[in-house]
Amino acid sequence: MIDWSFGGGIFIAKYNYWISILLMLIGFYAMIAKGNLLKKVIGLNIFQTAIILFFVSLGDATLGSWGKGVTEPIVKGALPWAAGGIVEHGVVYANPLPHVLMLTAIVVGAATTAVALALIIRMYEEYGTIEEEEIIEKERELGV
Amino acid sequence: MNGKKGKIWEENVIIETITRLMVPFIQIYALYVMVGTEGAGGGFQGGVVFAASIVLFTVTFGISKGRKRLPESWNAALNSLGLYLYAGVGLLCIVLSLGAAQYLNYAALPLSQIMSPAHTRALMISDVVEVGIGLTVMSIFASIFFDLAWKGEGKKNKDKNKGDKEVQE
Amino acid sequence: MIIPLDLILLFFLVLIAIAAISVRDLLAAIILLGAYSFVIATVYVEMHSVDVGFTEAAVGAGAITAFMIAALARTKREASD
Repeated sequence: MIDWSFGGGIFIAKYNYWISILLMLIGFYAMIAKGNLLKKVIGLNIFQTAIILFFVSLGDATLGSWGKGVTEPIVKGALPWAAGGIVEHGVVYANPLPHVLMLTAIVVGAATTAVALALIIRMYEEYGTIEEEEIIEKERELGV
Repeated sequence: MNGKKGKIWEENVIIETITRLMVPFIQIYALYVMVGTEGAGGGFQGGVVFAASIVLFTVTFGISKGRKRLPESWNAALNSLGLYLYAGVGLLCIVLSLGAAQYLNYAALPLSQIMSPAHTRALMISDVVEVGIGLTVMSIFASIFFDLAWKGEGKKNKDKNKGDKEVQE
Repeated sequence: MIIPLDLILLFFLVLIAIAAISVRDLLAAIILLGAYSFVIATVYVEMHSVDVGFTEAAVGAGAITAFMIAALARTKREASD
């Protein structure tokens, strides 16, 4: 097994966090800099999945190791916390708490996307375009 | 995918046949996810997969045929039925134990002649409640898809018609 | 987790995310977002969170893609940037 904590371990062993931050920045860039409203929603989705990736990485007990003896948090028979802790019979379970939180986040994200798409359709019916700058220009013409 | 008369695409025998073959299997898989396993969980995912089968049917056969399979009145009935199923089982626990048990305390249900309290709890959590959640999620997701895809037949202006001509091909 | 598989999947994840926000055709962007959802669902499953992965595959790749294509059918297909 490679000792990933040696030396610049925070850069190498925790690479999931850096990828997550990179995806977050990609989504944030799309939300700010892209003019098309549908592109903004796509950026919002990427941002959301980046945060979910961050939390799932937190729950994975063995980030940076080669995954020896790690299983999904599905337990047959006795509950693991009855023995005190999440380690039993030499098996390490991933922490299920962030998973449950992120299930709720995915559901809320789907609802948010549906509302955003409905608003985009309404704006297209009103202005005839879904480009942000053209909408601002039309509003200026109308003197709003 | 919009609500104009007739179809704006050609009928494709391969796609229609494959859709007819796939939809029942997707729905059985959705039911398996909902009630097939012991233990809690899976209602939301099963409902989404069930809604995906309706979306697949609608994308293939057009929105008017899809709406015929899941009419709008069914939507309202199904999503309130799911909610009532969930809340009703919870209230049943209070009512049948004459106020002794808490809300959603499934072990208080008078099924002790048939099965043990643990089995009652497992049955209620993994089957009844999950079917309730699944019905609500299925009808809500199908409803969101229909409402986003369906262009109302009331007011039509130039921009709308221009818009869907570009999407057609 | 298996580190080489994880690194390959995360690399493709970043690649698909950049492609999805930079392509001009909005239908292509939506389909790329669906591909992104599938890859990130694989990453979740590979990081031992099967329920999150399954939900992401059902909701992110199935429902949200269908919603976005339904919305695109009522708006314009090409984007300016």
